[in-house]
Amino acid sequence: MSLRTFILGLTASFGVAWLAIIVIPFFKMRDLAPIPFPDAQDTTAGVFFPKRAGRVADGARVYAENGCYLCHTQVVRPTYAGTDLYRPDWGGLKADPDRGDTRRETNAFDFIGEKYAQIGVMRLGPDLSNVGRRVEMINAAGGNPTKWLYAHLKNPRDNPKLWQSTCPPHPFLFEKVAIKGSPSPDAIKIPGDDTHELVPNSDAKALVSYLLSMKKDQAVPPTLNFAPGKKD
Amino acid sequence: MSSAIPTTTEQDALLRAGIDRSLRHPVMFFLTSGAAWLAVSIFLGVIASIKVHSPGFLSGWAFLSYGRVFPAHMNALIYGWGMQAAFAVIIWLMARLSRKECTAAGTILAAGHVWNLGITLGVIGILTGNGTGMHWMEFPVFAWPLLLVSYFIIITWSFIHFRVKGDGHVYISQWYLLAAMIWFPWIFITANVLLHCLQGNPVMAAGINAWYRSALTFLFFTPVALGAAYYLAPKVSGRPVFSYSLAKLGFWSLAVIAPWAGMQKLTGAPIPYFLPYVGAAATALLFIPACAAAVNTLKTMLEDREVLASSPSLRFTVAGIVGLLILAVAAVFLNLPDTTLPMTQFSLSGYGFDILAIYGFFTFVMFGATYFIVPRVTRREWLSRRLISTHFLFSAYGVTFVALVALFGGLQQGLGQEDWQHPWMSAAERAYPYAVATTFSWCLILFSNIFFFLHLALMWLRLGRRSSHPTLLVASHGSDSPHGEEGDIDNAGPGHAHAH
Repeated sequence: MSLRTFILGLTASFGVAWLAIIVIPFFKMRDLAPIPFPDAQDTTAGVFFPKRAGRVADGARVYAENGCYLCHTQVVRPTYAGTDLYRPDWGGLKADPDRGDTRRETNAFDFIGEKYAQIGVMRLGPDLSNVGRRVEMINAAGGNPTKWLYAHLKNPRDNPKLWQSTCPPHPFLFEKVAIKGSPSPDAIKIPGDDTHELVPNSDAKALVSYLLSMKKDQAVPPTLNFAPGKKD
Repeated sequence: MSSAIPTTTEQDALLRAGIDRSLRHPVMFFLTSGAAWLAVSIFLGVIASIKVHSPGFLSGWAFLSYGRVFPAHMNALIYGWGMQAAFAVIIWLMARLSRKECTAAGTILAAGHVWNLGITLGVIGILTGNGTGMHWMEFPVFAWPLLLVSYFIIITWSFIHFRVKGDGHVYISQWYLLAAMIWFPWIFITANVLLHCLQGNPVMAAGINAWYRSALTFLFFTPVALGAAYYLAPKVSGRPVFSYSLAKLGFWSLAVIAPWAGMQKLTGAPIPYFLPYVGAAATALLFIPACAAAVNTLKTMLEDREVLASSPSLRFTVAGIVGLLILAVAAVFLNLPDTTLPMTQFSLSGYGFDILAIYGFFTFVMFGATYFIVPRVTRREWLSRRLISTHFLFSAYGVTFVALVALFGGLQQGLGQEDWQHPWMSAAERAYPYAVATTFSWCLILFSNIFFFLHLALMWLRLGRRSSHPTLLVASHGSDSPHGEEGDIDNAGPGHAHAH
């Protein structure tokens, strides 16, 4: 085997795979064709474009920098690849008061506004595809979801319902400041200290805004629907 | 040209001694700073692992939060230790096998410092909260061009050695190393350019990241380790390679299969459906190249049991190749699309697989190579047989524990994750005992590697034994030793008269 044969063999064996699974899919997926809703559907019109409100790009940066993706995923797999969809609060809500069963799989449009989809590497904590929905409707039902998330980020085990959680505390996302006048609306109370409070810093605000934007359970066009028989 | 090719044993020994001396400082620099990074990485790994079962541990400091310590641990392990150990082995083996002295030790050494600067800044970047959030690529964006440039400077002379070596037989180790040297920049540039410089679909970006992790493992660390194993096995045991055609089969099957692997980590994510399936199939098929190389090298090494029992290099290399076999079985077992893949896709198994590949296989072979190379380049023998066997035992028990616990713990955890009828917390709890076991075993590995680092640093300071007797794992420095009576210090080795 000469060096020439060797280089040719290497280029061919690596190059074919490189083109087929990296380069071509990368450029093909750069501009996904918009998927229209059929005219008959009355609730939605135009193309499927799951808008997200909040500081998505900023929050995604904080999410990445603090390694949330090491324990949390952001993908609800179709049933051929796992049972995520059966969980009552992962793919959406099993019983949304207004919309019924909103659960669905993650699709390629769900990461609009982000540079990198934090699919995740491990699940030591629950999937976060619909964490915004879940916190609003279940965890902080009737309360303030933003404050619930601040308290959760500060220390998840402060919540008696989550005493077994192994999610790390993030005290560094908060600043201890003296209360001047009335307490700030977003601040966390410090037990036994009436003169100080914990105010979320800019990163905490961005992160919570990002988490609350995660409501990936909108109705999808039939071509994206894995269970067309399901009423949506 | 013909005058440069040694004809007698003495000339040959002189040439080898010259090559060893020309590369002493680069090789020792890469190995020693690599070992230091290994200790740092394991220390961070212990902290991260404690945090998995005791989340309140050291939680007051932002830079020690789990989400930063864990990526710092992995990146220090991969780029700090893994790549630097690979550099040491590549530059030494390519020079030895091409029979060329290195004339650019200073340049390589300088580039090695730049590499270490990149790693240091990168790890600090991760700990201070500037990581990119792309697994195994968490170093802040400025780091990758720095690493790439120093990589090319470090590796260039090995290419040159290969090109100017003259015609003749090219040994399988050289093909493995040469391929690794070409694959790494191709993979590294592809992943970094597509993820950092071009705007693409965010899900495809995650897919490329998964491919990058797999490709780095199987197209860089694997070929470097196999190149070293194919060198050490016949060299130390004194037997020819069991089957040369099997060696070629192993090489080309790796080259054809491994580039397709990796994206099974995105099964169910919205990327084209064939990508995860191709990834799962390719990862399972890696059993073929792994088995071909493992059987071939093991057959060679196990021929002579006496040498096997006494040689530190062989003991580590055999352990590493056994690690490769376990890795090959795990690659099949964890990637069955209908059963184990969904269960282990997001469980501890992924970490177990990575650690098995990087530590259980690659690192062990690198240790084997280190125990072979260092006495030659420093012309001193290892100080202590006990330090070597302690290093071996604690590392071997430690990594067996980490890998098995994570692989099987991952399956347990996966069963819980898939059991959707129970609340999530019951799945999350399943990780607890395995996390405790992982912490314990990382502590064993840390213990062993602190001593490894010290031993290596003393060797670099040339405080090794001045003796003609290699340090073997069985004590026989008496008259029955194959090297004669202990005590005659012939430190300069063969050809010493002209070696200065």
